[in-house]
Amino acid sequence: MKLLPTRPLRLPRLRTYVPRPEDPKIFWFNSERADIVDEVVRRILERYDAEESAELALNDAAYHEIRRLEADKSEGARHKLDYWRGILRRVGRMSVEGKHETLREIAHAMAKDVAGNFDPRVYHFASRFVPGVLTAAMNPSNILHNVVGSAGRLDGLVATEGPIDKIRHISKRGTAVLVPTHSSNLDSIALGWVLQREGLSPVVYGAGKNLFTNPIVSFFMHNLGAYRVDRRVKAGLYKEILKAYSCVVIERGYHSLFFPGGTRSRSGAIENHLKLGLAGTGVEAFARNRARGIDRPVYFVPTTINYALVLEAETLIEDYLKEEGRARYIIEDDEFSRIERWISFFNKFRGLESVCVIRFGEPLDPFGNPVDEQGSSLAPDGRIIDPGTYISRRGTPSVDARRDAAYTRALGKVLAQAYQRETVVMPTQLVAHVVFRRVVRATPGLDLFARLRYRGAIAIPCDELVTEIGQTRDRLLALEAAGRVHVSNFVRRQPPANILDGVLATWSGYHAARPVARVQSGSLIAEDPNLLLFYQNRLRTLAPEIAGDDEADQIAAREIAGMEHHA
Amino acid sequence: MSPPVAVVGGGSFGRSLAQAAARVGQRVLLWSRQPRPMPAVAGDGSIHTVSALPELAEAELLLFAVPSPYVAELADELGRSLDGSHLLVHVSRGLLGDDLHTVSEVLSSRTPCRRVGALAGPLVARNLVEGQPGGAIIGSAFPEVVESVSDAIGGPTLRVYGTDDLMGVEIASALVGLVALALGYAQRLGMGPGTLAVLATRGLAEATRVGEMRGGSARTFAGLAGAGDLIAAVAGDGRPEVEFGRALAEGLGLRAAAERAGAYIEGALLAKQVAAFGRRVGVEVPLSGGLARLMAGELSAEQLAEALMARPAKRE
Repeated sequence: MKLLPTRPLRLPRLRTYVPRPEDPKIFWFNSERADIVDEVVRRILERYDAEESAELALNDAAYHEIRRLEADKSEGARHKLDYWRGILRRVGRMSVEGKHETLREIAHAMAKDVAGNFDPRVYHFASRFVPGVLTAAMNPSNILHNVVGSAGRLDGLVATEGPIDKIRHISKRGTAVLVPTHSSNLDSIALGWVLQREGLSPVVYGAGKNLFTNPIVSFFMHNLGAYRVDRRVKAGLYKEILKAYSCVVIERGYHSLFFPGGTRSRSGAIENHLKLGLAGTGVEAFARNRARGIDRPVYFVPTTINYALVLEAETLIEDYLKEEGRARYIIEDDEFSRIERWISFFNKFRGLESVCVIRFGEPLDPFGNPVDEQGSSLAPDGRIIDPGTYISRRGTPSVDARRDAAYTRALGKVLAQAYQRETVVMPTQLVAHVVFRRVVRATPGLDLFARLRYRGAIAIPCDELVTEIGQTRDRLLALEAAGRVHVSNFVRRQPPANILDGVLATWSGYHAARPVARVQSGSLIAEDPNLLLFYQNRLRTLAPEIAGDDEADQIAAREIAGMEHHA
Repeated sequence: MSPPVAVVGGGSFGRSLAQAAARVGQRVLLWSRQPRPMPAVAGDGSIHTVSALPELAEAELLLFAVPSPYVAELADELGRSLDGSHLLVHVSRGLLGDDLHTVSEVLSSRTPCRRVGALAGPLVARNLVEGQPGGAIIGSAFPEVVESVSDAIGGPTLRVYGTDDLMGVEIASALVGLVALALGYAQRLGMGPGTLAVLATRGLAEATRVGEMRGGSARTFAGLAGAGDLIAAVAGDGRPEVEFGRALAEGLGLRAAAERAGAYIEGALLAKQVAAFGRRVGVEVPLSGGLARLMAGELSAEQLAEALMARPAKRE
């Protein structure tokens, strides 16, 4: 039975790679895959054990799949449509065994479709190949030279910060769950490359199925531990399978990566309402292991990925404005799929030092406690405490879905605060914020759409702008000293005039068709309020604290801070 | 043997909670800063006063009955003896700072405990002691917290309901305390039932606005934590907030009024905090704002009544 369309591409098994003892856990993934799928199916059957709930799950899955497939005109879709219509017809007359058998069949097919793969040969190949390709994209005139060996240049473009030694160390004791902010499809690639560069283990992660449509991307995703998440499939059963899958994988000690914001931040803002979704299964995984007597800690690592330019900025903000974040669709064709945007993207960083700063935050246990260098959970008074106490009552550990959901919500809040603290302010964000504040000052109280009409109408003398950039930067540095936020090296070290020049050069090249701002006879003209909004959104919550003391500036800053965004 | 129930705080409410738990057969550990004679026990349980906070770690459920300004300090101290297995529940009507942080937020950030909750509703000290039929609500995201409080004090005379809207319960409890204060004040000024009804209803609407802004659910305000609690105050359950309001209306100062009420009154500080919060996030809080100015002596009762009546009447 074929339920879902694409078949994973894999290398033929001519010579099996035998993992060495020092290899990361993920190198064993393939030998465990069938086991993992079986375990997922077993849990699903346990979950829908009652006859009514099995019937409900089948009906719900058939209903949602039929709705989805009816809109799909392909040949394969028709075939599957017949299958689901058959289920819907028969389910009422099925015996209990029949329902469970059908559920098992569907769950198995879905779990198999979700399950990822890890091929050490592809991993070794990719770790040599990726830096070359990324660097080549930055300098297409010298492709051969770049592909052959220039990881060095990429090193300079993607900077890493945070307690990396500690994360490396505790990853040996427990399972690390990386939970980064999400603003671009480049995120997983940049992060994957950085993990390898810093000697951190590769991770298992769920990637949207739309990323698997490109055969080359799909090949790498599939063989580097990614599992597929098809966001078009709305069936409750499918969501349970995804949860069970990620839980089993974490339980078994595979380091994992989740973007808890779900999709890329449409507004450019830092995610502040985290549902955690699949990442929440980290709490359950810890509890399940403990209840079985396995002491394997789970560590959540809040991570921010900070870009000076966001590859898909224009599409993302358009989408955000279209529905103000409510009815999102899955974007299939954006800047990510157009190679010329990649080239121009990487070419525009000359002079800004790092393209991207990936900052790892302090690891946390599933209950929001910090951990020490050895990975032991710490109470607020610095005492080592046993994380097992959180899932125990009167000394007995247990698994409790409602309790774990409550822990997950609480963890979401702690992670959102960590994102705020671990954000690294990039030069483009600083300049966009200062300019946007001026735009708001000039157009107080207008909504985003009304403000669009002021495209090209607001001019700010460059010398005033440079002064304000300097002052705002200094206030950011004070906040950084207080542990509230971080500032990129370029912002920290360069004179304000250089910051402005560097940012304008970067923008003018990349967002060429839609200039963000331009300079005309000594003044900066704000051209695109939306892109300004997008780039400054990471500073939104700090706006009142980094604004000047004069009344108009403060009013504008409060207005910016009050713009509630649905990430 | 099941673990004892701990009560932190030996004020009148803390002692009543200890008595209520002892009535249903619990072994109670009562900690108080100023040791006082042990309250009488009506049931099969027992009350033991303890002088050192770490002794309370023996309990699984700890009930906090201390004024909100002392919560942080006590949480720091007590937290050193606790871990993730302890359940913390408070009965405070206070909120902290101009961001209106709740007591449970303080407890879960300053102790290792995450399983926290708040006990609220039409619950007064005398009812607990005398065992009059009544009900209460416990807000907690954790089912075991609701269950544990119900086991500890619930019984034939006390129905304990549960909700996972902890934020709603805490904001409702705090702001109803403030409305009760206003009701006491208005009663002493001789306002009639119609006036009191408008004050109570619009006060609850204000509480709901603030609660929703902080992420609580409006439904909670229509339940025991909001309307239920407020109806008890209007019906005259002898609660200290109403008494405090009356004393203020008689012209007593804040300190003298608190002495008359016989308990710590959160409302005196709270009105100012709610007013600041309302200004910052853009929520209308005319009653809290007015009460803050009244208690600061910036406004007379007549001026406050006039100001409230002069507001344009809108759709409810």
